[in-house]
Amino acid sequence: MASPGIDVVDVRRAFGAVDAVRGVSLTAAPGRVTGLVGPNGAGKTTLLLMLASLLRPDAGSIRIAGIDPVADPAGARRVLGWMPDALGAWPALTARETVAVSARLYGMTRSDAADRAAALLGHVGLADLADAPARVLSRGQKQRLGLARALVHDPQVLLLDEPASGLDPQARIDLRLLLRGFAAAGRTVLVSSHVLAELEELVDDAVFVVAGRSVTEPATGAERVRAWRVRTAGDPPSAVSVAAALGLRPDDVGRDRDAFLVGFAGDDAAARGLRALLDAGLAVVEYAPAVGRLEQAFLDLGRASGGDA
Amino acid sequence: MNAGRLWTIVTLELTQRVRSVAWYVLLGVFAAILLGVTALSFLAFSWMSAFGTGAGGAIYSVIVYVVLLLVVLVSPTVAGNAVNGDRDQATLAPVQVTLATTGEIVLGKLIAAWISGLAFVAVAVPFLAVATIAGGLSPAALVVSLLVLVVEIGVFAAIGVGLSALVARPLFSIASTYLVVAAFVIGTLIVFGLAGAATRTEVSSHSRYLNYDAAGREDSCTAWEEYTYAVPRFDRVWWVLAANPFVIIADATPTAYDRQGNPTDLFGQIASGVRMAQVPPEADTWSDGCQGGPESYPSVREQTDGLLPSWFVGLGVQLLVAVLLMWGGWARTRTPARTLPPGTRVA
Repeated sequence: MASPGIDVVDVRRAFGAVDAVRGVSLTAAPGRVTGLVGPNGAGKTTLLLMLASLLRPDAGSIRIAGIDPVADPAGARRVLGWMPDALGAWPALTARETVAVSARLYGMTRSDAADRAAALLGHVGLADLADAPARVLSRGQKQRLGLARALVHDPQVLLLDEPASGLDPQARIDLRLLLRGFAAAGRTVLVSSHVLAELEELVDDAVFVVAGRSVTEPATGAERVRAWRVRTAGDPPSAVSVAAALGLRPDDVGRDRDAFLVGFAGDDAAARGLRALLDAGLAVVEYAPAVGRLEQAFLDLGRASGGDA
Repeated sequence: MNAGRLWTIVTLELTQRVRSVAWYVLLGVFAAILLGVTALSFLAFSWMSAFGTGAGGAIYSVIVYVVLLLVVLVSPTVAGNAVNGDRDQATLAPVQVTLATTGEIVLGKLIAAWISGLAFVAVAVPFLAVATIAGGLSPAALVVSLLVLVVEIGVFAAIGVGLSALVARPLFSIASTYLVVAAFVIGTLIVFGLAGAATRTEVSSHSRYLNYDAAGREDSCTAWEEYTYAVPRFDRVWWVLAANPFVIIADATPTAYDRQGNPTDLFGQIASGVRMAQVPPEADTWSDGCQGGPESYPSVREQTDGLLPSWFVGLGVQLLVAVLLMWGGWARTRTPARTLPPGTRVA
């Protein structure tokens, strides 16, 4: 049965003696935004190149909306949109021409390509710069141009390599809305990044890649202790009073500038902690996980794999 | 192979060139050079009208040679980084990920480089027209030489595009394109000269002269004198020159002769020279100064009659090299890529 998403089973790829990808399996479901998380050099870009039908895997199988990009690259290219991390733009072409040329390369007629370029540039917020040469665009604007180019043939599967790097907060929000809308239309989005805070706000699911291998997300169960950041109004109280309110030893309460860091095992424990702090009369104005969900998972991952070694 | 996508790639390449100022400067400089060359040619060949032939043919051949020379010098830089330059700019992968096939990409780049080279021919058109008006040019010479020029420009473009796909770094692919082109243009000359001179054979010449007495009357004949010396055997290596682009154009163009049987243009002179290299030196030559008047030498036309034209062999060798390089470049650029040129990224 052909799944409309991405299915990767034990894909490997080496460059000479360097094993870039040493066994990645992942599934990206349609209707969801899947994050590809891993440190620099983990093999994310190599994996995306294989998914984009540009690089042949040494082993393993890839299905993009049910199509094998090795056996049928043209078929896969018809359904996938790819936005590379290194964004090259033809220096002499305007933004409009850049998108229109890509549309023409997907076989659209001249007038269809022009219409599509105008619509997409509006969609990614580059309508004002449509006739500016691509080389004068800022990095963030080039990212958007790359996104427009990836969307030009209305793909079912979108592969984005570090799409949010270089984007300002407003552009990040725009990107999130755009990808959400894309996923809501039943399509598949795979986004890679090493900036976890950036991915956090974007993705539904996450796939972790460490040293060329995909690893299952560590259980984010109740038993795992997470640090929460507690800030109170006015002058900070002593750590002792915070610890007392929570029934902890003062050594268990960390300081982060004007805030405290407290570990809770799971959301329920954190909720009880907040109640205890309020009951003790502390004017809590900020109460949130100190690190993002993905970041925490990623850090746990490093700790787990470090422990194994 | 889809014509629409192929043409999109061609126009994409050409648009970027057309929008660079440097390109127009280059064409302007070229026009200025041609103007000078044409003016000088008119001065240089003005004597020909005295022999009943217009100077047009000679001027025409000089202009075609200047165009070819310029294309030889420029096309490696135009075509020699077509594929790897795009890879460096990260503009190759976004094309590869579309429905454009590898064949369309490399062929589109070849056609674009070819058309760029033809821009030099286009600039030369007014000058070629002036030469045609000056007269003395046969229609066959005009058609054939232009046709071969166009094919040669395509061969250089193919060598450049092929190497740009095979070699990872633009600098080295441009340099290697220059080397391959130089191998045809200069290398063939060097091999011809050196190999001919290295394979000398001994020939002897016998001669005797009239003796004159003190009053200046013919007196008696000297005895036969024999000289033995070594001559280079260009007849064994003449075929090396066949792959030279300048020789190919000259050799392919039907030669026009004047009333004395001498070629009237540069093409004819070079073609005759190359063909006469096919003639082996005579092992024994006899020159009798005591008999009759001055010897009558056969005209160039008579000497070259029946000697082999070789241009199609040379052009065939060039086309083979061009096709092999293009094929290699295509294989190297294919996606999904199995191997990458060392030190490069797909994107």
